[in-house]
Amino acid sequence: MLPEFASVIPESKENALAYLSSLENAKIFAGGTDLLVKMRRGESCRHIVDITKIHDMKDVSEHDGLITIGAVSTHNEISVNSLINAQAPSLTRACGLVGSPAIRNMGTIGGNLVNASPAADSLAPLLIHDTMVVLESKNGVRKMKLEDFILAPYKTAIQPYELLTFIEIKGLPGYREGYKRVTKRATWAISRLSIAWAIQEKDGLYKDIKLAIGSCTPMPFRPRRIEESLKGLAKNEETIQAAVEEIIYEIKRISGIRPSFAYKIPVVKALLEEVLKG
Amino acid sequence: MIGANKERVDVIDKVLGRPIFAGDTKRKGSLFAVVYRSPRPHAWIRHINVGLAVAQPGIVKIISATDIPGKNRFGAIKKDQPCLAENRVRYVGEPILVIVGETEDIARKATGFVKIDFEDIEPIHDPFMAEKSATLLHDSGNLLSHRKVIKGDVEKGFAQSDVIIDHSYSTTWLDHGFMETEAGIGYLDDAGRVVITSSTQNIHYKMKEISRVLGIPEDRVRVIQATTGGGFGGKLDVTVELFLALAVYYTKKPVLMRFSREESFLSNTKRHPLYIEYKTGAKKDGTIQAVKVNIIGDTGPYISYGETVCLRAAIHATGPYEIPNVHADSRMFYTNNPVCGAMRGFGVPQLAFAHESQMDEIARVINMDPLDIRMKNGLRKGSLTATSQVLNHSVGFIETLRKIEPFWRARKKNSQTSGFGIGCMFYGCGNTGISNPSRCHLRLTEEGKIAFHSGVCEIGQGSDTILLQILLEALKIDEKNVVLIRGDTDTSTDVGSTSASRQTYISGRAVYEAASSCRSYLKKSGFYHGRTLIDIFSEAHTEQNMIFDGYFDPPTSQLNIETSAGTPYATYAFATHMTEIEIDEKTGVCLVKKVYAAHDVGKAVNPRLVKGQVYGGVAMGIGLALMEEFVPGKSESLDNYYMPTSMDMPDIEVLIVEDEEPTGPFGAKGVGEPALIPQAASIMNAIHDAEGIRPFQLPCHIERLKKLIEDKKK
Repeated sequence: MLPEFASVIPESKENALAYLSSLENAKIFAGGTDLLVKMRRGESCRHIVDITKIHDMKDVSEHDGLITIGAVSTHNEISVNSLINAQAPSLTRACGLVGSPAIRNMGTIGGNLVNASPAADSLAPLLIHDTMVVLESKNGVRKMKLEDFILAPYKTAIQPYELLTFIEIKGLPGYREGYKRVTKRATWAISRLSIAWAIQEKDGLYKDIKLAIGSCTPMPFRPRRIEESLKGLAKNEETIQAAVEEIIYEIKRISGIRPSFAYKIPVVKALLEEVLKG
Repeated sequence: MIGANKERVDVIDKVLGRPIFAGDTKRKGSLFAVVYRSPRPHAWIRHINVGLAVAQPGIVKIISATDIPGKNRFGAIKKDQPCLAENRVRYVGEPILVIVGETEDIARKATGFVKIDFEDIEPIHDPFMAEKSATLLHDSGNLLSHRKVIKGDVEKGFAQSDVIIDHSYSTTWLDHGFMETEAGIGYLDDAGRVVITSSTQNIHYKMKEISRVLGIPEDRVRVIQATTGGGFGGKLDVTVELFLALAVYYTKKPVLMRFSREESFLSNTKRHPLYIEYKTGAKKDGTIQAVKVNIIGDTGPYISYGETVCLRAAIHATGPYEIPNVHADSRMFYTNNPVCGAMRGFGVPQLAFAHESQMDEIARVINMDPLDIRMKNGLRKGSLTATSQVLNHSVGFIETLRKIEPFWRARKKNSQTSGFGIGCMFYGCGNTGISNPSRCHLRLTEEGKIAFHSGVCEIGQGSDTILLQILLEALKIDEKNVVLIRGDTDTSTDVGSTSASRQTYISGRAVYEAASSCRSYLKKSGFYHGRTLIDIFSEAHTEQNMIFDGYFDPPTSQLNIETSAGTPYATYAFATHMTEIEIDEKTGVCLVKKVYAAHDVGKAVNPRLVKGQVYGGVAMGIGLALMEEFVPGKSESLDNYYMPTSMDMPDIEVLIVEDEEPTGPFGAKGVGEPALIPQAASIMNAIHDAEGIRPFQLPCHIERLKKLIEDKKK
């Protein structure tokens, strides 16, 4: 049973923004895979602005190594987009693993970010691609780093009158890139843990490393300082062990010791080793 | 016809989405009823105030315990559970009020306006606390049942053993997770009788309960089975029926009920968590000398099928092996946890986990092959079970091992972390040590048809098709001459529940009996020489010989109260599963790759349906083994209660063994529960084979498995 609500389906960004600025307590429907669940649990919501019919916001395009992805691109659309697959295969993989086929056909990347679950599959890949989010309102446009956009689990910097319209990601051609997640069953499951990576190596040395670990910290963790320190180091057991130790130390520092770490820490350790060894 | 892969009688309708499930039923002017449930695990009800709730627009009636016209107690085995709580609640989710509104929305919203003052009582958290606590859940105490199975002298057996293996195992609550949640519609018919159409596994039982609670004769009640989307034991107990009956009784209008998944999780009975201490003694050559088992179960606050599980677990504690000295103690305690009831296997899947782990441990210590040790000890013709029953017929256990043997001998690990495991089981078909008959009526109709009156509840497993196949074969008649009239207390007599893997065996035999008597008459009347049924009907009509009854009650005996010696079941099903798994040591993920499942079903009336049962059993076994865990207060819906999906399913090869049961229809026995029982056990043994670690707790989900892997490294 859903609470009573009224909905509008704008077909342009401008109309959507006009509704958002004038309607009281409006909620954005960007696929509904989180919103409808909350509403069924009784969360009230008088007005719904359905943005899934705004075609501009489904575009995926590339300029100078920057890929712009429309916020209402579904997980499924992203997982089959060849441009994204060529430049950000970890995102392709992650979006292809979200929920079930039905959820991938409904849920969108913008919705995934605004919901800001710490277990969201898209977050870790987006972090290694230095994602910027584009927020628009009647007053103008602002861009933010994804890391700044997500304030806490399920909490973002978006204002009620704003719309997340696009995200911009940096393509990483020439990197060994991937995404792996751990779930309690084969599919249709929340990630217990996830990791996205993009690694460049040359002559046995690490040239550049980008890592993001999901579901261990309040938001997926990008160990930038450690990434930086690995640049130019020889790829060997010693380097890897030291890096893994440091990352785990950082995770514990950020989150404190959680009961779930009895499981998660050994798994993160094993996965990081695997990823760094390649 | 017998042994043919006949298409299911309901297949076209199901594929086209035609069947009407109870929750889809529409009747003009229907009201909607919801249940207000206890938020407390254990409390006195001091005061109920429904003033505000009643005043909500569209609320028609609110019913409490004091409004119950008949007896406010129901129960499958004993009448102990209040339909609506009186002055005390004993679990979170216990029904207190029925709220009837003009719409679902109105009725659900009104629950928020009910005010109840509770005075908490110390809750009993587990059976160990129940045993010691001075807080009593019932006047009779906190122990529901204590059953023993004793054979030979277990201490002497251990003294003669070269090896003794002693371990404790534990399992947890599981939800049935049937696709269709509980639902039903009730109304008064033109004669003023109460009619309830619901999703159920047993219409006649529901009719009797409604009659008791309303205080009206059974002939004033009619129960019809709606198309039912799965049961697995969870629709044996009363779900919506009594609430609907009360709502109809008071409003005189049609009333619909439909549980949300959250309500289903909160209210439905669960699989019993069992704590099992298991000691096995064996000779160096692998002969098992003695088995001592101590079972402690959590049955929740009301009986439901607690006694059944208590006894069945003890009887099946040895597994399908002939063991000279047995001592099994099985105790079931009341707690303030969810009511536990029937769920596919009545405690036996839990015991299979224990006895099969023990079997592999013995084999490992004496360095014997796991298949060989089972061959050596397995039940066979002439064997004496733990209840000292001599197995004279249809003992296909060794044959199931033989079917598996070539795959077992040829097994080859694909990687360091792959493994193979065997799980075996036996399972008594039908209810335990009590009469549990079934009946069937065939009627010649004026239109020249055989009307097949069946009270059997088809819950998705295929019983309508199986029973029809038995009828067609026994009557040697074409399907077009038969009309199936089913699932209605007005048109059938009590056949017992769809449970205990009993419908093919018991109701199948009742159908066979009715068909045999009909066949003799048709033969005498010349049907098999070309006379038409229309012709025969007019003659039968004059002779008052139009109805042919069939009846079958499997020959069992009452069990000795001290030792359980006797014949609890007339026949047993046997099975061996072999499972291949692959473990990811990094994450603790266990993938089930391949299952070979050999089942002695007596006779496969419809091999495709046998396979269907096994596929489903394997799926459920994977859930039991690796992921399903109902945590009271936390598991609210399928969002946080993980059941396997099709992506978790392995390749499955079903190998059918047909050691015919002389009392079964064309030799058939049951397979519904056996399909599940050995699966989790075989996965646990495969985990040991892969990693050298032994799980003692189910489910062995990724976190537990990873911990075992890490602990072993230390």
